[in-house]
Amino acid sequence: MAANNLSAVIETHGSAVKLLRNSKIGMYVYPVVAAEFSNWRSEQVAWRKSAVLFDQTHHMDELIVEGPDSAAFLEYVGVNSFANFDLNRAKHFVPVTPAGNVIGDMIIFREREDKFVLVGRAPTANWVRFQQAIGKWKVRLTHDPRSDSRPDGKAIYRTHYRFQIQGPDANKIFDKLNGGPVPDIKFFHVDWIKIGTRRVQALRHGMAGAPGLEVWGPYADKHYIQSTILEAARDIGVDLALVGSRAYSTNTLESGWIPSPLPAIYTGGGMLAEYRDWLGADSYEATGSIGGSFVSDDIEDYYVNPFELGYGFYVGWKKKDFIGKDALLKMKDEKHRKKVTLEWNRDDLLKVVASAFEDGTPYKWIDFPQPNYASTNADLLLNGNKPAGISMFNGYSFNERCMLSLGVVDDDIRIGDQLTLIWGEPEPTGKTSTEPHRQAEIRVKVAPTPYAREARENYADSWRTKSAT
Amino acid sequence: MAHKNLEDVLKAAKNPVDLLRNSRIGAYVYPVVPAEFSNWRDEQAAWRKSCVLFDQSHHMVDLYIKGPDALKLLSNLAINSFANFPVDRAKQFIPCSYSGHVIGDGILFHLEKNNLVFVGRAPSANWIQFHAETGKYRVTIKKDDRSPSNPKGNAVKRISYRFQIQGPNAWQVIEKLNGKKVPEIKFFHMGAIRIKGQRVRALRHGMAGAPGLEIWGPYKEREKIREAILAAGEEFGIAQVGSRAYATNTLESGWIPSPLPAVYTDERMKKYRKWLPAGSYEATGSLAGSFVSDNIEDYYVTPYEIGYGPFVKFDHEFIGREALEKIAGKPHRRKVTFAWNGEDVTKAFGSLFTGTEEEHYKYIDLPLSNYASSSFDKIVDKNGKVVGASMFAGYSYNERSMLSLGIVDPNVQLGDEVTLVWGEPDGGTRKTTVERHKQLNIRATVSAVPYSKFVRETYAAGWRTGT
Repeated sequence: MAANNLSAVIETHGSAVKLLRNSKIGMYVYPVVAAEFSNWRSEQVAWRKSAVLFDQTHHMDELIVEGPDSAAFLEYVGVNSFANFDLNRAKHFVPVTPAGNVIGDMIIFREREDKFVLVGRAPTANWVRFQQAIGKWKVRLTHDPRSDSRPDGKAIYRTHYRFQIQGPDANKIFDKLNGGPVPDIKFFHVDWIKIGTRRVQALRHGMAGAPGLEVWGPYADKHYIQSTILEAARDIGVDLALVGSRAYSTNTLESGWIPSPLPAIYTGGGMLAEYRDWLGADSYEATGSIGGSFVSDDIEDYYVNPFELGYGFYVGWKKKDFIGKDALLKMKDEKHRKKVTLEWNRDDLLKVVASAFEDGTPYKWIDFPQPNYASTNADLLLNGNKPAGISMFNGYSFNERCMLSLGVVDDDIRIGDQLTLIWGEPEPTGKTSTEPHRQAEIRVKVAPTPYAREARENYADSWRTKSAT
Repeated sequence: MAHKNLEDVLKAAKNPVDLLRNSRIGAYVYPVVPAEFSNWRDEQAAWRKSCVLFDQSHHMVDLYIKGPDALKLLSNLAINSFANFPVDRAKQFIPCSYSGHVIGDGILFHLEKNNLVFVGRAPSANWIQFHAETGKYRVTIKKDDRSPSNPKGNAVKRISYRFQIQGPNAWQVIEKLNGKKVPEIKFFHMGAIRIKGQRVRALRHGMAGAPGLEIWGPYKEREKIREAILAAGEEFGIAQVGSRAYATNTLESGWIPSPLPAVYTDERMKKYRKWLPAGSYEATGSLAGSFVSDNIEDYYVTPYEIGYGPFVKFDHEFIGREALEKIAGKPHRRKVTFAWNGEDVTKAFGSLFTGTEEEHYKYIDLPLSNYASSSFDKIVDKNGKVVGASMFAGYSYNERSMLSLGIVDPNVQLGDEVTLVWGEPDGGTRKTTVERHKQLNIRATVSAVPYSKFVRETYAAGWRTGT
């Protein structure tokens, strides 16, 4: 009989590492949105120099949590303090395992006293659903999974459309749309603005130091809202670029968020063993992939804790209880790896590119602008010959004219240090996203997060900036 | 005011060259099919080493032509002979303008008596449709346009699905599907196989020297048929090919998919230009590359130049015959493959990491490097003289080389080193696919068509090999 839950799938494959490193799921796709609207270089430039429209309708799960216990339930599941969580605010919601390792993250919006909307990758949505299933909370959940990775001509339906308008000229567009200055929404606060005949909710967000808004509403309004935004930009002469799926995920290289930590749920007994039985064989956790040169027999070596990702200051220590509290309390004052940006060496990169034009086995192809080849990436970083960290998310930035990656490095590594990133996998795996290749050594320079100076200096004081020093 | 037709659009533009070189339509997309199933390197390797499934259901126009005058109409438009074209035969149909320049090409299937379908890019389909509607032919036309380039999550519908099973193991997959030996079908003849107990029509095709089939049927059966092919193909290493790798297969086999339709000039074509809508391929398409001339006719090619000389048959009347008769025996530019110098290609990539706008070379996207619906890059000899043009470019993992297909002057020899000028002058045109850049000279070796030694030595004798 076919394995019908994650526990059985792991057993079939021998271990979680074997399962994930040999996953056949293919690339982690940003679905439905066109690959390029203009070209990915110009689209990247637009978020730095004019304005962009990100279509975030399709690549994230959405989970609605409603009911009298909603706030208490989510406070228990996530590490975050809800002390300041007024209506019409958003937070960066991070749940950890009882052992204190990160499961994932989602943006959480408080729409009503008793209603929250969570948006992000599947692992957090799944974990929240599980907690509801095993708990006795008075909450009701509605789960809208991300769009099909390969719709292949089939119609796609979501509950909501979701757009971000970002960049230095974004405000001009909002003012035009709103028929006057938009309310001065604070960072990660939500208010209502006018788009055409609709009043829509808008979250103040920002990227690369410039202001921006995220707006959402019923999926049926998507076309109307998008064309109204484009028309407003045209009317005031703002060069608003639609960003395609090839450029989209690289924006985080400049701003410093790591989208793809491995959910730390493959080990642990009790609640976690039960979770693995609960998770379907077709879940993200059972089908996802790990790619990269970092290989360990122990899946726990791929886990990260919230301190390492720069989320330490989210933790609501004053909360009576939440999953992972004890573990985090113990970890709190220990030394932690820290999040950094890595700047890849040009000559070493070109050696990889050049191998595509030579006979023999080439180095692993570096796809531009998004070289990731798994849902979770783990490339080994060496300081001399000594392991010094893991590179976790790659991307080329035309704005910085540089290949960058985000990762975690040992506490004693300093900005400006040179490390070596091992690119490519040591042995052939079952992943369909990798061609036969050999490994390359790529020198990388440790740089701050966010990498973009504008983002670093002007971005709202937040987790992005609380990292390496 | 919005323009109604191509003639209006051209009147408003300075020059057709200027219009097309600055088209805002974006990249020429191979729609709907996922970008990659596995990864484009392995997908390319599979058509050489095991077998592949191409999903051709979306990127071509299907034009159904029915009626007692269907063959007469098509014969009047084609350089090809219709002398030996019974039912269950297909041919590469090539229409020319009155001046003897190529309008396009595609595959014409003789499905039944008085019932044919043309499958290919829009320009040939439009030209056939125009003559069907405006000429005195007893025909009816049904056009099934290609799928939208950006479906935006909406359902996509075609009349037919269209698959190819190709590669060295293709025939084994086909026979396994069929449940028994498939009787020999000659190249470009049609037959049928059985899939899941159902009769499916098939065109004998081939790739890399191995026989393959193109099959089609009602679109709603696409899933079922695909699943059957993948299941049968598993043991033979079948790989689905995504839209990133798909179009690059031609670099190894030598067909140029994208000649500029020769419709923008000539009084005799004016009626057609007034018929062609302002939203047509011809009015919205784009032209890219380093070759720039004020005269759009400099971008036209004759059938002789792109390897269709053997197809030109003066055994019938057809549009363009007079012009072609005049040039038939003369020397022509001819089709070749350009193998790009790897160091120079790497140099183009190097500019991604150096710095400034002034230093940036036009990005070479792998594996498909075109950035317009028609491409025209200058080929220059060692004396600086323009001796040809590169017309379709991309990377072949099988050959570990950037390759492009194009044409060269008669005196250029195989093995000659030439320079391909990559990128557009003056920082680039206003096409949305173009970031500001400077031009780069890339060394290239003039090579045979098909490039692949394997293909060249084993492919069915025909236009590809010029025999």
